[in-house]
Amino acid sequence: MAMSAQDLELREAARSWAIRVQETAFDDWDGFTSWLERDPSHLPAYEAALADEAWAVELLSSAPAVPAPEVQPRRRWWVAGSAAAAAAVAVIGGWAVLDRDAPAQQIATVPGEHRTIDLADGTRLALNGSTRVTIDPDTPRQVVLERGEARFEVRHDASDPFVVLSGGTRLVDAGTIFNVVQDGDTIEVGVAEGAVIYQPGTGEVRLAPGDTLRRSGKDAKPVLGRANPQTIGSWASGELQYDEPSLDEVARDLTRSLGRPVRTTRGAERISFTGTLMLRGTPEEVLARAEPLLGVKFTANGEGWTMSPAHGPPR
Amino acid sequence: MNRDEDISGLQRVILNERSRLLRFLAARGLADEAEDALHDLWQRVAAAPSQPIADPLSYLFRAAENLVRDRRRSTVSRDRRHHDWHETSVPGEEQPTGERALIARERLREVQSTLAALGPRVELVFRKCRLDGLGQVAIARELGVSLSSVEKDLQKAYRALAQLRAKFDAE
Repeated sequence: MAMSAQDLELREAARSWAIRVQETAFDDWDGFTSWLERDPSHLPAYEAALADEAWAVELLSSAPAVPAPEVQPRRRWWVAGSAAAAAAVAVIGGWAVLDRDAPAQQIATVPGEHRTIDLADGTRLALNGSTRVTIDPDTPRQVVLERGEARFEVRHDASDPFVVLSGGTRLVDAGTIFNVVQDGDTIEVGVAEGAVIYQPGTGEVRLAPGDTLRRSGKDAKPVLGRANPQTIGSWASGELQYDEPSLDEVARDLTRSLGRPVRTTRGAERISFTGTLMLRGTPEEVLARAEPLLGVKFTANGEGWTMSPAHGPPR
Repeated sequence: MNRDEDISGLQRVILNERSRLLRFLAARGLADEAEDALHDLWQRVAAAPSQPIADPLSYLFRAAENLVRDRRRSTVSRDRRHHDWHETSVPGEEQPTGERALIARERLREVQSTLAALGPRVELVFRKCRLDGLGQVAIARELGVSLSSVEKDLQKAYRALAQLRAKFDAE
C-alpha cells in the first residue's frame, strides 16, 4: 500500500513527539495534548512510533554487546572520575533516566566513574566505579547488584517494597537511603536513613540508621556493626566521610573513586580521623590532601599506590 | 479526599491542575477511564517522598504518561498471553524454533546495518539514548552538539527503523 505524503508527514510528526516526550526536560505537555486532540489519527500514529521504537530496542538488546562507535577520543577516566562525582550532584542533565518501556538492561561503570540513575518510580541509584547492576522495567521495584558499590535512595511504598538482590541475598527497604557493596561473595550493607531488612523470612535482620552488616561469604554468618549514618554512601556526593575508619575501608573507597588501585599493608588498623575527604581534582591532588588528614603516606607503585601509616615502619 | 494537612504538595498540584491532567489523559486514549487514571496518579504520588521537585506539573504529566504506557502494556501482555495460549493449542501453524531463531538473527543483523548506514554519530546517539538510557541533553553536551541536532539524529534513526519494521511486516 503506497503511503501518501500526508501520511508520511503524520508519521514524522508522531516520531518527533515520541522523541521529545522521552526527554526528561520535556515540558510542552499542553502542546502535546493539543496535537493529540487535533485529529483522531494522531494518537494511533504516536502509539505506532512508540511501538516501532520499542521493537528496535528489544531486538538490539538481544544482541551481544558491541562496542559503540567512537566519535570523540575517550575521556581519561582517572581525571574524569572525580569530576564525574561532582557532576553527578551538579548536573541534572547528566542523570540517566530509565524509560519503563525499555527491556532489561545492564549498566556498568568503569573504574573511577560515578553514575546516577533515576528509576521511573523516583528511586535514585548512585553507582560507584567498577560496578554493574541489572534493571528490568518489568520488575521496576527490583535491582540486581552484580558487583561493586551502589547507594540507593528508595522511594518507599509499603505495599510494594523495593528489593535489592546482591550475592544471592535479598535486601528489602523500609523507607530508606542505604549503601551496598558486593565484592565476590562478600556483601556489606550500611543504612543512612530509614530501615532495610536483610534476608526477609526466618532469621531476617532489620537494619536501622547507622547499622552495618557484613557477610564475608555465601554461608558466612552476617556480622553487625555500627557506623556514623552520615558517612554511609557519602562517596556518592563526591566526598568520603569517615568516623575512625580502618585502613582497608579507606583503601577500598579510594580505589573505587580514583579508578586506580590503592593497597594497604596494615589493613585492619584504625585511623583516628573523623571528617571528610573531598574527591575533587586529580588522584594526586586527592591523595596529597588526604595524607596529613589521615596520617598516612601514599607511595606510587606503578599502576596505583601503597598506603601506609606515616609513623609506621616502611615496607 | 484527605484532610488538608495529609495532602502532599504534588497532590495539591493535582487538585489545582485537575482539568489539564484529565484533558491529557483523555487525549492519550483514556477518555473513558480518565477519572480512574487520575485517581491512580493520586495514589502513586501519595507514596512519593517529600523531596523537592523542580517542576511539579511537568513531573505529574510525566507520571501520567508512564501510567498510560503501563496500562497499555498490561492490556497488550494480557492479549499476548491469550494469543500464546491460542498458538500453542494450534501447533501446526507454528514455525519451527530453529527457523524462528534464524529469522530473528537475520533481522537483528539488518537492524544493526541499517543503523550503521546512518553514520557513526546517529548510531551513537541512538544507542546512548535508547540502550544506555542517557538523556538527550547529556548526550548533546557530551558530543558538543545542540539538543536539536540530537533530536534530528534520533529522528533519522526512528524513521529508518520504522521503515525496516514495515518491510519485515510485509514479508
